Amino acid sequence: MADRAEFLQKVRHRTQRGRYKPTHAPDVAWTPKDEPQYSPSVEDPPARFIEELEALGGHGVRVGNLEEARDHIVSLVRERDAKLLLRWDVEELEELGVDGPLEEAHVEVAVWRGLEDFREVAGRADIGLSTAAWAIAETGTLVLEGGPGMGRSVTLLPPTYVAVVLVEKILRTVPEAIEKYAQGGADGLPANVCFHTGPSRSGDIEMSLFVGMHGPGDVHVILVG
Amino acid sequence: MSVVRVLRRLGVEVVYPRGQTCCGQPAFNSGFFDEARGVARHFMDVFEGGNYDHIVSPSGSCTTMVSHYYPFIFDENPDGRARSEDLAPRVREFSDFVVNVLGVNDLGARLGGKAVFHTGCHQRRELGVLEEPRELLRNVEGLDLLDWRNEELCCGFGGTFSVKMPDVSVAMADEKIKALDESGADTLVSCDSSCLMHLKGRLDRTGHQTRVLHLAQVLDGNGG
Amino acid sequence: METEKPARRRDTDDRRREGIASPVEGFNARAKNAVADAQLHDSIELFTNKSVAGRNAVLNALPEAPELRELAYHIKQETMANLDRYLGQMADAVEARGGNVFFAEDGEDVVRYIGDLARRRGAKVLAKSKSMATEEIELNRRLEEDYADLDLEIVETDLGEWIAQLAGDTPSHIVGPILHMNRRRITEVLSETAGEKLPPDVEALGSFARERLREKFLAADIGITGANFGVAETGTIATVTNEGNGRLVTSVPPVHVVVMGIEKLVPRFADLSVFVRLLARSGTGQKLTVYTNFVTGPRGPGEIDGAEEFHLILMDNGRSELLGTEFEEALYCIRCGACLNVCPVYRQTGGHAYGSTYSGPIGAVITPLLKGGKEAKDLPHPSSLCGACWEACPVGIPLHDLLLKLRNRQVDEGLAGKAQEIAFKGFEKGMSSPTLYNIGSKAARLAQKPAQKDGSIRPMPGPLGAWTNTRDLPPLAPKSFRELWKEGI
Repeated sequence: MADRAEFLQKVRHRTQRGRYKPTHAPDVAWTPKDEPQYSPSVEDPPARFIEELEALGGHGVRVGNLEEARDHIVSLVRERDAKLLLRWDVEELEELGVDGPLEEAHVEVAVWRGLEDFREVAGRADIGLSTAAWAIAETGTLVLEGGPGMGRSVTLLPPTYVAVVLVEKILRTVPEAIEKYAQGGADGLPANVCFHTGPSRSGDIEMSLFVGMHGPGDVHVILVG
Repeated sequence: MSVVRVLRRLGVEVVYPRGQTCCGQPAFNSGFFDEARGVARHFMDVFEGGNYDHIVSPSGSCTTMVSHYYPFIFDENPDGRARSEDLAPRVREFSDFVVNVLGVNDLGARLGGKAVFHTGCHQRRELGVLEEPRELLRNVEGLDLLDWRNEELCCGFGGTFSVKMPDVSVAMADEKIKALDESGADTLVSCDSSCLMHLKGRLDRTGHQTRVLHLAQVLDGNGG
Repeated sequence: METEKPARRRDTDDRRREGIASPVEGFNARAKNAVADAQLHDSIELFTNKSVAGRNAVLNALPEAPELRELAYHIKQETMANLDRYLGQMADAVEARGGNVFFAEDGEDVVRYIGDLARRRGAKVLAKSKSMATEEIELNRRLEEDYADLDLEIVETDLGEWIAQLAGDTPSHIVGPILHMNRRRITEVLSETAGEKLPPDVEALGSFARERLREKFLAADIGITGANFGVAETGTIATVTNEGNGRLVTSVPPVHVVVMGIEKLVPRFADLSVFVRLLARSGTGQKLTVYTNFVTGPRGPGEIDGAEEFHLILMDNGRSELLGTEFEEALYCIRCGACLNVCPVYRQTGGHAYGSTYSGPIGAVITPLLKGGKEAKDLPHPSSLCGACWEACPVGIPLHDLLLKLRNRQVDEGLAGKAQEIAFKGFEKGMSSPTLYNIGSKAARLAQKPAQKDGSIRPMPGPLGAWTNTRDLPPLAPKSFRELWKEGI
């Protein structure tokens, strides 16, 4: 059983034991030795994002405006024969206006607000719908924050997941995305930030790919703008 | 001996200090640093003496022992440390010496056949001498230098490792031999005699007819 | 029926046990079996080849990789030099968020804390995301034993770890825990759990696992994770998974417990940029792991999911012993598994031959340092010191040099065995004196005469037998180089 002060004191004592000077700084022998194929600088971020996402088995599409995005989602719901769609409670999704058309098509729409048993709803939902704080072009990644109205489970439990992302939210590289949160310091950081890249997968069975292990295997991103 | 002949052909005056014994690596690899230091001091005594321009070693692992690991084992010993750091840059591996110091990559050697080259681990990772032996081999008339799979894998010798862990050591050799068979080569060349001894030992025991040669032997035209 | 070994044979055995053959008996025995297992070899080859190819391709595409490696090394070095300060900062940051921090000296402390927490919460189901630190302290077994009255159900949620758990097996690779299990065996294990015969195809097996584990995610009272990284500045925990179980286990259950080795810290959130890029590329050949998740304390205001209670356990378990010593670099490890994939020994024997939680080069280094014990004595020796591990390490840890230092430590502690001590003292004397060397060399030439046959040395008893059983040995040349030189080449 360790007391904080005692624990830290012991650690401090050991760090001062004598700075060991390591023999090898990593200066030699870094494989691969082949001519590096420089990853092309990200020129067309939306296009690059879609390319990366699709290479991972996700589905990416770019549309001009929110109406087109709405139509896209409605037909996806129909294709998947979904009964329940669970979405974030955020302004953009209100504006998106899927609720109406879906209800008309007898598809239940649940909103992440005031849920008594979120597990029950999220566990039952066929499709999860959210927006994203940012997206990363070089890797096809969505940057998802947790917060009021922005349930983590919406993006995790339903087998099909759709994200609607404004094109101006697309960052070029991973370091850029990290920087967005680093600059805010401890206070600015949401309790959860997830870099979500493509469909959930596992290769544990003889290295054969199984898609949709625990998270959604069917991932769609609609870039708007 | 091929090393001596080749160097002489290139106009180098070769001296073999008679007092020399061993670089001490076997003791070092088994963790016997004190004993290794003893042997190292003797080595330094022998080679500091004669005011040599260069010290050439026909072995990647011995070169690494002297140039990289002598300072390592004398780290806490200022006198030994200074001597070893002074000596280190003067010791060169044979192919490195021929190509980078003498500036020669074609010796007009001749040897027919298909060869693969095995780079010893120390030569690869500590010395970084990768291209030089290949350059030299490519200029050998009649010799086809092939690529082989798992090129960077260790042969399994590792000094006392080969007798302490014989099952794994042999399995590692078999992995290399599998790759050699797949490449279709009839000749195996390396700059490290220990690797060659280990692989040849296994090749012979498994009924292979592969020709096993040190780089110097190939360059000496001494194919046999 | 008793079989009495003849006295002469026993002598030889004893001598061998004392000589060059020791102290690697345990590993050697397991390795012998592993090497003879053709199917294991194929599985390992498949996994490691794919991993290495993926890693090379994806690192090639990152021109700044060498710089990142240096940065990673120096960040870790800085962290260790000031570890007490960073640990304090981390604890403060987590508490500022309403999280709880516990300082655990060892595994016992961790088990106690989690068990007591489970009791307090009336917890029944504990869902675990992959954590080598919890494997290291055998958390599951000890919770089940020491808190048997709670009747806890502890479920591994990583597919490979779950299958291993069901099979009563242990992981054999940091990243691919069941690479040693074939499809047939996996089908057997899952069918038994399902209570019906499942078809041996990945779709069916995976779907069953998804369904069954989902129930656990939804029913879990406590989610337990490790941490790939901890950020001192913000109190953030980073976990990476491809399956999503890491994020699920930190989002759905009402309580989240993190068991983090103290060496997993980095100072600033910005440092994650370096490590996050290196970890996925090095470990799985991906640009980013599918769910790269950053959790800072319990759920934020207005959140409906996410944990209500957050507990960070900072575990020492022998790590602080290494600070400031020549072995400190072993703490820089980010557990990517790249060293296992390139190790020529691991590739022949697999992870179980190492007999410990951590296998491969990193396991061979940290097990003796953290755990000690009988098994650990073996571990610095199964290595030809080829250096491939150092080359592959994204942080640049000189694992092969650390292995050498461990061997040296054993020698200094008198653990190398009398025979070796005598042999190498003799070696030193012989090699320090040209006269002795010459005599020795002549003697060896004489001694080998009886063993020679058709120009090569045939199988012999004794330590050299370890060579000659499977390999030919070229005889020493009739005249030594020295003699030829004297005669004038």
